[in-house]
Amino acid sequence: MTQFARTFAEPVAATNFSFLRGASPGPNLVLTSLLLGHAGIGIADRNTLAGVVRAWSALRALREDGQPAPEKIREGGSPGEYVWMENPAFAELSLTREHIRGVAKAFKLAVGSRLVFAEGTPDIVVYPANRQGWRRLCRLLSHGNQKEGVQKGECRLVLDDLLADARDLLLILMPGRSLDGLPALLARLDDAAPGAVWLGATMHRRGDDRRRLARLKAIAAAARTPLLATNDVLYDAPEQRDLQDVLTCIREGVSIERAGRLLEVNAERHLKTPQEMTRLFRDAPEAIAETQHLFSRIEFDLKQLEYEYPDEPVPPGWNDQAWLEELVRRCGEIRYPQGVPQKVTGLLRKELDLIARLKYARYFLTIRQIVEFAQKEGILCQGRGSAANSAVCYVLGITAVDPAENDVLFERFLSTERREPPDIDVDFEHERREEVIQWIYKTYGRDRAGIAATVIRYRPRSAIRDVGKALGLTEDITARIADTQWGSWGTEIGDERVRQAGLDPTNPTVRRAVDFAVRLLGFPRHLSQHVGGFILARGRLDELVPIGKAAMAERTFIEWDRDDIDELGLMKVDVLALGMLTCIRKAFDLLREHDVADLGLADVPGGDKATYDMLCEGKSLGVFQVESRAQMNMLPRLRPREFYDLVIQVAIVRPGPIQGDMVHPYLRRRAGAEEVSYPSPSPDHGPFDELYTVLCKTKGVPLFQEQAMKLAMVAARFSDSEANGLRKAMATFRSDGTIGSYEDLMVGRMVERGYEPDFARRCFEQIKGFGSYGFPESHAASFAKLVYISSYLKCHHPAAFACALLNSQPMGFYAPAQIVREAQEYGGVEPRAIDVSFSGWDNWLERGGKPFALRLGFRQIDGFQEEWGLRIEAARADGYHDVEDLMRRAVLPGRAMRLLADADAFRSLGLDRREALWAVRRLPDDDALPLFAAAQARELGSEPAVPLPVMPLPQQIVADYQTVRLSLKGHPMGMLRPVFRRDGVLSCAELDNRPDGSWARAAGVVLVRQRPGNGKAIFITLEDETGIANILLWARQFERFRREVMSGRLLQIEGRVQKSREGVVHLMGQRVVDRTAELGSLSDTHRTEIALARADELRNPPPPRGRHPRDVRVLPKSRDFH
Amino acid sequence: MRNALRLVDCDQRAVSLGLTRDLTLADARARIPSLLAIEAEPEADAALLGRLAAFCDRFTPLVALDLPHGLMLDITGCAHLFGGEAELQAAIGRWMRAGGLSHRAAIAGTPEAAHALSRYGGGGVVPPGEEEARLRPLPVAALELAPETVIALSRAGLRTLADLAERPSFTLSARFGEDLATRLRRTLGHEDARITPLRPPPACVVERHFAEPMLDSEGLAEVVARLIAEAARVLELRGEGGRAFEVSFFRSDGAVRRLTVETGRPSRDAAAILRLWRERIDTLADPLDPGFGFDAVRLAVPICEPLGETQASLDRRAVEDEAVADLVDRLVTRFGRDRVLRFVAQDTHHPVRAAKAMSAAMPAAMSAALPASISAWPTPEPDEPPTRPLQLFEPPQPVEALAEVPDGPPIRFRWRRLIHDVARAEGPERIAPEWWRDGSCEPMRDYYRVEDAQGRRFWLFRVGFHEPGQDPPRWFLHGLFA
Repeated sequence: MTQFARTFAEPVAATNFSFLRGASPGPNLVLTSLLLGHAGIGIADRNTLAGVVRAWSALRALREDGQPAPEKIREGGSPGEYVWMENPAFAELSLTREHIRGVAKAFKLAVGSRLVFAEGTPDIVVYPANRQGWRRLCRLLSHGNQKEGVQKGECRLVLDDLLADARDLLLILMPGRSLDGLPALLARLDDAAPGAVWLGATMHRRGDDRRRLARLKAIAAAARTPLLATNDVLYDAPEQRDLQDVLTCIREGVSIERAGRLLEVNAERHLKTPQEMTRLFRDAPEAIAETQHLFSRIEFDLKQLEYEYPDEPVPPGWNDQAWLEELVRRCGEIRYPQGVPQKVTGLLRKELDLIARLKYARYFLTIRQIVEFAQKEGILCQGRGSAANSAVCYVLGITAVDPAENDVLFERFLSTERREPPDIDVDFEHERREEVIQWIYKTYGRDRAGIAATVIRYRPRSAIRDVGKALGLTEDITARIADTQWGSWGTEIGDERVRQAGLDPTNPTVRRAVDFAVRLLGFPRHLSQHVGGFILARGRLDELVPIGKAAMAERTFIEWDRDDIDELGLMKVDVLALGMLTCIRKAFDLLREHDVADLGLADVPGGDKATYDMLCEGKSLGVFQVESRAQMNMLPRLRPREFYDLVIQVAIVRPGPIQGDMVHPYLRRRAGAEEVSYPSPSPDHGPFDELYTVLCKTKGVPLFQEQAMKLAMVAARFSDSEANGLRKAMATFRSDGTIGSYEDLMVGRMVERGYEPDFARRCFEQIKGFGSYGFPESHAASFAKLVYISSYLKCHHPAAFACALLNSQPMGFYAPAQIVREAQEYGGVEPRAIDVSFSGWDNWLERGGKPFALRLGFRQIDGFQEEWGLRIEAARADGYHDVEDLMRRAVLPGRAMRLLADADAFRSLGLDRREALWAVRRLPDDDALPLFAAAQARELGSEPAVPLPVMPLPQQIVADYQTVRLSLKGHPMGMLRPVFRRDGVLSCAELDNRPDGSWARAAGVVLVRQRPGNGKAIFITLEDETGIANILLWARQFERFRREVMSGRLLQIEGRVQKSREGVVHLMGQRVVDRTAELGSLSDTHRTEIALARADELRNPPPPRGRHPRDVRVLPKSRDFH
Repeated sequence: MRNALRLVDCDQRAVSLGLTRDLTLADARARIPSLLAIEAEPEADAALLGRLAAFCDRFTPLVALDLPHGLMLDITGCAHLFGGEAELQAAIGRWMRAGGLSHRAAIAGTPEAAHALSRYGGGGVVPPGEEEARLRPLPVAALELAPETVIALSRAGLRTLADLAERPSFTLSARFGEDLATRLRRTLGHEDARITPLRPPPACVVERHFAEPMLDSEGLAEVVARLIAEAARVLELRGEGGRAFEVSFFRSDGAVRRLTVETGRPSRDAAAILRLWRERIDTLADPLDPGFGFDAVRLAVPICEPLGETQASLDRRAVEDEAVADLVDRLVTRFGRDRVLRFVAQDTHHPVRAAKAMSAAMPAAMSAALPASISAWPTPEPDEPPTRPLQLFEPPQPVEALAEVPDGPPIRFRWRRLIHDVARAEGPERIAPEWWRDGSCEPMRDYYRVEDAQGRRFWLFRVGFHEPGQDPPRWFLHGLFA
């Protein structure tokens, strides 16, 4: 290798961001190229720059760490919802990090794009020579993306687009099979970009390679254009050929058997060693040398995308920092009417100094401006994530966690060591976020504000579908593998999964499909628009990054996703949507409207005893974050008494603390069953209370992500870079045992410093347990704030809370029936039925009751339109006389009338459901005839009264459930009680009173079915007329009763009662009987549709959490189970 | 839910397990992982129903489809032929059972009544005038109304036809339209309407009846020739051509001998068909036995396809193609379908599989259905040498060769004991194996086009690489260029 090392740089390589073409991720290409001894690599994807940042940051990681950074794969929108994927190629290497660091320093990376033209011109690979060139390339691609008539994800370019302005661009012409017309094309290119054109030549062992090379050489010589050797790479190693074939099949929509010559003939399009390239190009050695020349012409590096924040927020005459300080001063007076506390003043000073030093003032001003707009419009918002660690953010109204009451760690948010720009995510009311987005577009202009992309990647389900199709498996078989799973998270498509689908995992075709699907996991499939990640620029955004069309009209998004933006240090702000904010705002509005209270997010009285009492009972249905089954079970055990307890409550039901086995020690210490102790180092190594400062708030048990790191830094004296390495190592579980070396390091240091070896080892185990899924404290604190506010509302204003919750649907875990029921039973709220004489579109409060009753609104009727509801409200005056009167005055179509009748909303007019249905049937479907309308006369003649049969109560209830999803008349189980009583079935209330360990039989309609990540048990919540029952079914039982559990809506379950000390009752199911048929017996005219709670994972599978099999040991994200 | 596979129908066992129509396949599978699901084939169902309709022609000429799953027979005036209505129904039942089909049937005074009874009322024969009494207890669903209407009626507490019949009819039509009232009247036998029968398209049939039984084979041939000419005229008028021609000889003793010739393309060229016919007669293993003579000869054309006027192209290419097709038809008629082959291009990089021998007489419709694997022969770039030889050895012939390491072309090789010195060579052309083929462990091949000192051109390939510790590569001669 030595003789040839660094003589060749591969100028043309496509990553898997050349969707369904490239078969290797960019980082793999960079690493392989570097290890093969190339002097550099050029990354150029098809009409896009979407993949270049990944390649670039991979090289940066190699330069800095001497090892590849694991790839960060987002799994969801919330902080911490990602996994790290380790680069497998690296695990087997035995090179020292020093060596790699050295080589990487000299290694060159060219980033650009391969332009594919619509009119059939051969492809041209373009690399910007400098920042100017980058600007042009971005604008060129944006232009192609946004042309009239271009579809989403398409980029239509013609040669003239490029030739219009090709200055500062380096062009490599990649001839197709036919060489006709090349001289003329080269001449045109040379006119547009004098001295910056190369003619690419490949030696792919197509038979005529040398003949072709000779001709290209002649053409190049005649055109005075240098010939450039390249392998036009599609993958890093020849072993990827079959995957590339499969990608081709997916792209072309053909099966592999029929793909024929669409496939590459051989596996030559991989990265080849310099000596191999030199040998292949022995007829044209100058083409090899030319690669060096090309790379030497490239001055551009992505780090030159120096970023500047928008100017808008600063009024004339102020500089950024001074204006920020002024604003902080002014807002501080409002936030703290009694004067800013000493502690906060200090924090503010410290933060402002740091902000000044890092020149981030304008960023804060921008966020402040967005938040200010929202506040002016009455849109509730709250910053989440690490911003809650900032006093400045609190004072500016961005976050709601008061630094006076809580300890904040500004370093978590912003520090001189980390070069990352601050990251402020702001939640807005989900129904009104669009207003904020539109305001941003209006204020900054579409050319400077853009939404980030989300890379849609292959998940197990999509991977097996596409691969199966490509391999010619019938849809039936792939559907089996893809569908007969519970949701699609999980670790891999294992043999178990395949067998579960009723297929033989040893069948070669099935095995092959599964293997390919596994290899395809994580590959990008296409780009989509991120929900709310905005990037704001000072100059033109399309000169920074190409902008593409989104599926939504008038929407555009940039080609980079949030991680790319992070890597480059660009400014972004996440404008997120949070349903609970909508609910809280609506509750505030209701309270104000009815003169009960005038509250804002910051005015809710803190430390309310009744609120905490309610939570201790586990009555958290509807409350933010802590309403899941697991959280509800935890509440009586944790018994939160103050705000910080809620912070812990939010963070503790997560895989990190659970798998790290920190929940039970914490609970024991909290209950006083275990002594709270803080081990100390030996006195000559440090202060005896060094751990106390880290862990005192959590009784010596690390529960938050920050604490885990801090533990290593304090107790084992880890340096910043060591801690960083540990963070990465524990997130990826490198197979080469890096984690082991950190274990030795940490335990060793701790022991050295005088800690008990046993304690040190336990600490490490706990840190390991966190994986990447610990919950940051600041984030938990932001959430806890909303937990408290929503709990407070529920406790003191149950009617308003339930009403607001219903008006904000769909959100949360539960269906309207449960929300109403909880308000009724726990809050003593009187619910009132939907009625044309009293209801509005929204649910609302009526005087009476205690002190309010909840009047259900038309929005609860499935399929009812808002405008109809509003018209009924508006035209009501003194009320309606009869159905025809209603129809005419509120101008309702026949369908609306029928829905109202079906919802039994005519009782006040003296019609029950059946009579009303019969009456409205007669009404014309369209508007009243003009003549009748003009005369305000009755249009319909009178009819002889032929009474209809009376509708029995069970049918009424079932009809209620079908139309409104809840019934105030009764519960279906109540109607069936005699049947179940006969079978010896207990009611849920009776079940609660059974002694621990006794055998019992319960039945109810299914509300929620959940399966925690490890899949060992299934949790089912049943409901009857007396309450709910929690069922736990072990996986073995589940497999036995799979059909019943999966399809039954009314289950009867037998098993043993298990009662915890806190009084939480579970029925450990042993036998499941599907009694859904009983529901059918109630009514044959209405389907008994008991709405499953939204949290049900069978009906609403959670977002896929496919994890790459290489990372099976990475801990799964919370499924809210423990 | 869009794009979801749904159950179209379930057998009794599936129903007993709680599966229903319209359930998504995924849901069904989740409940019963071992579920056997078969893709619905509405076309096949329709075809079966069509065959059944044709079959029922024997009971009455007035047969209509009662979609999606029923047949409606107007048996007015036919039942006595079978011994009465009950016997007719029994006869149909026997046929259906013999064919392995389960069915339900009802005979009533109006189509609607029969329809409702067979589907909702257990079937049977309703004596005239008793429709109303038999049908009143049936559920309203028997009216086959829109599902929405059925639900509306039952929500009003009206469950049976009797419930509806007892209500003033205008209160029903005011709510559900006149259609409901009409259907109710027809179903209860108050009103009648005829069915529209399904008429089988008349096949092209020409026949000759003889006054005297014909024994003379010459005369018989003459008759067949005339029938062919006659059929050709009929086909021309219709703008069609036949793909098969069936001649039936009815012997006076009742025996029938049928002989068929087929053509590769639709044809109405009397001369060509006659030629094929003669080939057929000539190759007959057991010749036509006139016995005591033939009463009649019938020529039927069971398969007809549209055939336009052909226009000879300027370069006479079409005529040439036609001549080849005629030749193929004759060869096929003489030697049999599977014994006349031609090469068809296959879309693959693999040189051996690139050409496939297929039956030359493969019908056009079949070859059109295989566009992906059969494609045009690759057209070489103009001015480029041919890259594939005309003759391929299968299996390739092993040769000994001397070549430059690692992937140079052979310098000299020995084939059939003759040494060839390579004067010119090009390559390698590397062709990787088709990994997706089951059991394929073919190695990668590096192909070279070489020319020896005498100007002979060969196609050789190497298997394996020059690598230390590995077996030395092996060489094969795979083909000869002309």
